[in-house]
Amino acid sequence: MYNQETKSALPGYRILDLTNGGCMLGGRLLADLGADVIKIEPPWGSPSRTGPYYKDIVDPEKSLFWWSYNANKRGITLDIARPEGRMLFKDLVRNADAVLESFEPGYLGRLKLGYADLIRIKPDIILTSITPFGQNGPKAHYQASDLTVWASGAYLYACGNPDRAPTRIGFPQAGFFGGAEGAIGTMTAIWHRNNTGEGQHVDVSMQESALSPHLNVLQMWDVSGVEFHRLGGALYVPSTGVRQPIYFACRDGYVMILVQGGNEPFISSSARLVKWMEEEGMAPEWLVKLDWKLDYDATTMGQPIADRVGEAVERFTMTKTKAELYEDGAIRRQILIAPVYNTRDISEDLQLKARNYWEKFEHADINDSVVYCGPFIRMSETPLEYRRRAPLIGEHNDKIYRKELGIPGEKLDSLKEKGII
Amino acid sequence: MKGKVFDGLKVAEFAWVIVGPAASRYLAEHGANVVKIESHKRLDTLRGTSPFAHNKPTVDSSMAFGRHNPNKYSVSIDLQHPNGKKLAWKLIQWADIVTESFSPGTMEKLGFGYEDVKKLRPDIIYLSSSMQGRGGPHSGYAGYGMNAVNLCGFTEVSGWPDKPPAAPHGAYTDYINARIDALALIAALDYRRRTGKGQWIEQSQLETSLHFFAPPIMDYQINGRIMGRDGNRCEETAPHGVFPCRGDDNWIAITVSNQEQWRSFCRVIGQPHLAERKEFKTLAQRKKNEDELEKLIADWTVKFLPEEAEAMLQKAGVPSHIVARPKDVYEDIQLKDRGYFVPLKHPVMGTQSFEPQSSFILSKTPRRINRPSPCLGEHNEFVFKTLLGMTDDEIARHIADGSITTELPGQFKVSM
Repeated sequence: MYNQETKSALPGYRILDLTNGGCMLGGRLLADLGADVIKIEPPWGSPSRTGPYYKDIVDPEKSLFWWSYNANKRGITLDIARPEGRMLFKDLVRNADAVLESFEPGYLGRLKLGYADLIRIKPDIILTSITPFGQNGPKAHYQASDLTVWASGAYLYACGNPDRAPTRIGFPQAGFFGGAEGAIGTMTAIWHRNNTGEGQHVDVSMQESALSPHLNVLQMWDVSGVEFHRLGGALYVPSTGVRQPIYFACRDGYVMILVQGGNEPFISSSARLVKWMEEEGMAPEWLVKLDWKLDYDATTMGQPIADRVGEAVERFTMTKTKAELYEDGAIRRQILIAPVYNTRDISEDLQLKARNYWEKFEHADINDSVVYCGPFIRMSETPLEYRRRAPLIGEHNDKIYRKELGIPGEKLDSLKEKGII
Repeated sequence: MKGKVFDGLKVAEFAWVIVGPAASRYLAEHGANVVKIESHKRLDTLRGTSPFAHNKPTVDSSMAFGRHNPNKYSVSIDLQHPNGKKLAWKLIQWADIVTESFSPGTMEKLGFGYEDVKKLRPDIIYLSSSMQGRGGPHSGYAGYGMNAVNLCGFTEVSGWPDKPPAAPHGAYTDYINARIDALALIAALDYRRRTGKGQWIEQSQLETSLHFFAPPIMDYQINGRIMGRDGNRCEETAPHGVFPCRGDDNWIAITVSNQEQWRSFCRVIGQPHLAERKEFKTLAQRKKNEDELEKLIADWTVKFLPEEAEAMLQKAGVPSHIVARPKDVYEDIQLKDRGYFVPLKHPVMGTQSFEPQSSFILSKTPRRINRPSPCLGEHNEFVFKTLLGMTDDEIARHIADGSITTELPGQFKVSM
């Protein structure tokens, strides 16, 4: 039998997960590591049971988004906005280690379920609140969406084509950053509680996590007074304003090739690229003669040479497919090439197959098995395991309310009738 | 006396550039001692990356490096030198956690692979992070987050449908991977506390990052649909976009999530009748006529500065925020309120603003940045003498034989 004390990284910490959207990833990560995560949704179903749907059947039970971020959790329904629902929630908190939530700041407090209320029920409880801007401060009550939070972190400004509006990543990301931060914050607080017996309130700001992916864009401004300009993926050289093309069209899409010179660490990759082009009769003489160190130094070069090199490289890439450029160029010749994968390319990737990444998972209720992303990390002693698919609406109500909390069946029936569960 | 969460926890950081160093910052900001194992012979790429304080490029003046390494100690040792290896072993002996992010095989060649380390320290928690993991045909694939962002599908879905993809800037996936690593490290600590056992955490950055893209992948595998790019539009919401404001390259992000917000929005832009017009009344109609809708909105937003439009829209309860520019975040009232930027005096760079890696504040044991990023080898004496208990003579011998490095082998080189 599966023994969480010794087989998984985390013991069965009881985590009550009230989050929505991308923030649900946080509970999923903890569940994969072994925690006993209970997803709580309203009796009418979570608003996060969104598309895309299994076989395009628009049905909250077939939401691929829900499946992705609630696997390994158990699920119950509960209307925490109603007094009886609140009481039940408090019963759950008595046996919980942590509560994860992503409501607007103050919402749980108004229901008398805020941090100050919860510690009266369970003094060492950990409450992790994931919100766009944090619990306090001038923007705490801003109306926000994934896009507007992304905008507040300035990373949005750094992405997109120069002649149009900045663009986000088409699949919204800010919620996932918030969820991951919630998981780390929760575990940090649990570690502290295990040491001291003290619980606390974890206050996650999605805005702060949206500042994170910047590499050096913020410091370029703060330290050097240089404002970064988005270039649709080309490399921007702040000291000269030169843009070095690194994305190239190929026969069936696009590839990135880190074509660089000067003092860049992998300059030899550029030389190998030219050699390959030469072998195939596609390197003009001037390119063969180009001194990558002197003539393609980002700090001294001009735009014309960058454009000229870019055009020559693209003439070459246009003769090949993504797969050819990846296998023959990146893997065999060690050229810094990365194909711009779409979801089909990802699904067919050789490396992911070789490492047995994909996990097939039974969905008995629809009499089918579904392929999921595999373990988010490999742990030698405590490998991550898929234990259960995402819960159906109220799937574990009976198990958790009746068997674990000991609520009599008649009481449950009445709660059900009133629409509390 | 009340300590910090990870007081007494020790990390030997062989990892470089972003993923590993960003991961250990979660621990360092909550009390752990993190020692970076560096060398003058092979510089961390970020030490050569702009911007440089006072525009003077030196090995100790990159704030690209600075941003990713406050609160840490740095030692400089030559891992190829037999006596340098001895120092590394002392650090491994000292540590609870070892991190590395070289191409698979590099640490093994140096003699510090997990299996080697495990023999001496069976309870070690050892993190290896590489682009595509151990084993498989692409294991040797070297690259940065700049490569991974393409393999993970993020580039393909960024930008406009009528243009080539516009890749997310920089090393996007590194910032996903660092978070997952931090979580796995804490989970492994929890396991070790219960069982006394250490373990090897092995990361393929590709495998990790796909979890931030899982539903579109399932959508292909189940429904055969390949996700494309569509600017800032969203199937379930309209308007949902980034609109031009007065001034050069000024923008505001606006999302109207429901009918109530739609009516408020129309009132704010002074066209309440728009809410009931048949082209825009329902979400389905707004999606159908989105080009016209976006043009109408841009005609309004362009009259205002981003801050002015944001104030009006927020007052009406419409989700909105200026598309912050780098300068804006340093003046952001919310970030100020949370004490996000922390000014600290650095011995070479002077006072610089450092950022936390943890995007959360624990109410009783808040994150803390109390030391700037280290100069290369700045803490050789502190680490070897105070933390490891070596004598001055021993340290001097390591300096004399070059196993503690003190000088760059050649001229300092700046990359971009």
